[in-house]
Amino acid sequence: MRILKNLGQALRGLWLNKGNTFLMTLGIMIGITSLTVIVAIGEGVKSKVLNRIANMGFGPESFSVYSGAGKLFFGRGQETTSMTLQDVDDIRAMPNVAIVVPRQRKRMRIINKKEFTSTRIYGVSPEWLPARQWKIVDGTFLDDLDMDRKRKVIVLGATPAYKLFGDKDPIGKKVRLEQVFFEVIGLLEKKGLTESGYDPDDRALIPLTTSTSRLFRQTHLHSIKVVTTHPALVETTISAVTQVLRRNHGLSVLADNDFRFVTPESIMQWVTEAEQALNRMIMFISTISLIVGGIVIMNILLVSIRERIREIGVRRCFGARRTDITQQFLFESIFVSLLGGMMGTILGLALSIALNYFDLLPAKMTWSPFILAFVFSALVGLVFGIHPARKAALLSPDETIR
Amino acid sequence: MTAQKIIEINSITKVYKNENVETEVLKGISISIDEGDYVSIIGPSGSGKSTLMTILGCLGQATSGNYLLDGEEVGKFSDYQLSRIRNEKIGFVFQAFHLLPGISAFDNVMVPLIYCNKTPLDAEDRVKRALTRVGLEHRMHHTPGQLSGGEQQRVTIARSLINDPKIILADEPTGNLDSKNGQEIMTAFDHLNEEGRTIIIITHDPVVSKHARRILTLRDGRVVSDQTNENFKESRSSPTRIMVE
Repeated sequence: MRILKNLGQALRGLWLNKGNTFLMTLGIMIGITSLTVIVAIGEGVKSKVLNRIANMGFGPESFSVYSGAGKLFFGRGQETTSMTLQDVDDIRAMPNVAIVVPRQRKRMRIINKKEFTSTRIYGVSPEWLPARQWKIVDGTFLDDLDMDRKRKVIVLGATPAYKLFGDKDPIGKKVRLEQVFFEVIGLLEKKGLTESGYDPDDRALIPLTTSTSRLFRQTHLHSIKVVTTHPALVETTISAVTQVLRRNHGLSVLADNDFRFVTPESIMQWVTEAEQALNRMIMFISTISLIVGGIVIMNILLVSIRERIREIGVRRCFGARRTDITQQFLFESIFVSLLGGMMGTILGLALSIALNYFDLLPAKMTWSPFILAFVFSALVGLVFGIHPARKAALLSPDETIR
Repeated sequence: MTAQKIIEINSITKVYKNENVETEVLKGISISIDEGDYVSIIGPSGSGKSTLMTILGCLGQATSGNYLLDGEEVGKFSDYQLSRIRNEKIGFVFQAFHLLPGISAFDNVMVPLIYCNKTPLDAEDRVKRALTRVGLEHRMHHTPGQLSGGEQQRVTIARSLINDPKIILADEPTGNLDSKNGQEIMTAFDHLNEEGRTIIIITHDPVVSKHARRILTLRDGRVVSDQTNENFKESRSSPTRIMVE
């Protein structure tokens, strides 16, 4: 096959002009590297967010209200102390509201003799379990009596339970949070690590009353989870809650909310928006960088044709057709581009792994960068190779040999 | 028996256009060359002999006139068809060798076979035989940079022969060589002619032109003389070993 022979000549040409070949790959390499990294970060962020949603135990009829202004999970800096149990009572008094769970939260060190680990400590009411639809595998959950008596009892998630007690039964044992000893009364069902590395089992629950008075020593809440009686009622309930909270927090008409809602719908919307914005950015950056890479290839190839004019002449003298020369140079440009793409993918993967490893940004490796890199670099090679290849082919043989 | 005409050109002109300035390099040249002939084309620089060579070699088209090569009217051929003619019928030897740098003598000789319509199955054997024929069997895998001028020119001869062309077209083949190497190369051409190949040598060196049976002299784009070399056989030096078969 003639085309295969031209392919062979192209490879040989690239090998013999290693310097130029390397320079040509650079542009594409950088473009594909950035593409790979951005795609990996995009995927990483997406999966992190999706996992968080999945692990918040949202049903379509529930929502959460977090203290502090901002959007979704991203509060605006300083801690707000305005959300209280008064808010919870007022929300509970509303019609259409089935369950209300006040929550306090803090990351703390939890200690069993010489073993210790850091975990998220939640102060919650007993309604947490039905609202979250989580199961107890051993012992019992917090109950109203625990709340009333501000008992020092704790329900462990699977992760701290394993870290503190190994395979031993933790029920009835004592663990220490700061200077306070808690009795382990229950063990939560294990949910397992999510893909992004978020661990839903890394938590421990204590009665809210205990956390306010004995441990955190604060009365304000971190968030309130509200379960309505029907998904259709979420919207009206949110506006009612908004009114109540604004009144309770003494916000003037002009002031912004000092709390924020997280609903399944708003999360999905946010994810979609974020994803679209991210995709647009990816498209934009990679298009620019690949165009630049393509121009680099084109220019170097044009110069290289001047350098290799004799070679073209010799080939023409001994029977190469215009199409042979076109094919040879087109193959060279495609190959160089693919090579750059390959190197870029490898470099990009290395960078993504490094970003993950050093915990700078979440990055997730998927197949898409490989496919994108392959398709785009082949395309760039083809598009930007056409001009130099045609130019080489259209040189008249007598000019090239002179 | 009259020899077959392999080349017949009739009133060939060639005009180069350069920024509205027209230069007529060939002003109506008519030559016919028999198959198996040994022709040298001489003339001072600017006489148009290089241009004539590009036309004879199907590297460029004449502005006007007819060109019949081995019975085919190549004057009207497309680039595609000319490529085939160059591949099958003509072997080029250049003053500056024009070997592809960086690749071995073997691969250089292989080049015309790449552009054959059908690469022969014994391509590698053929390349080896061609190189052996010019006495370079031991330097097959050297790159042009590792070969001497004379060796390089022998590689180009092997290359020109690989497709078994009817015509060998040589442009100042000894121009870049010392006299000893030049002599060897010319002897090689003499032998190729004895095998029945048509040889056309473009040169300005009278010593070189004396090897030919027929000497055409060009001046200012016209053929000014067409002589038969009376000393044809005598002028040849004794055959050297390089062409021993």
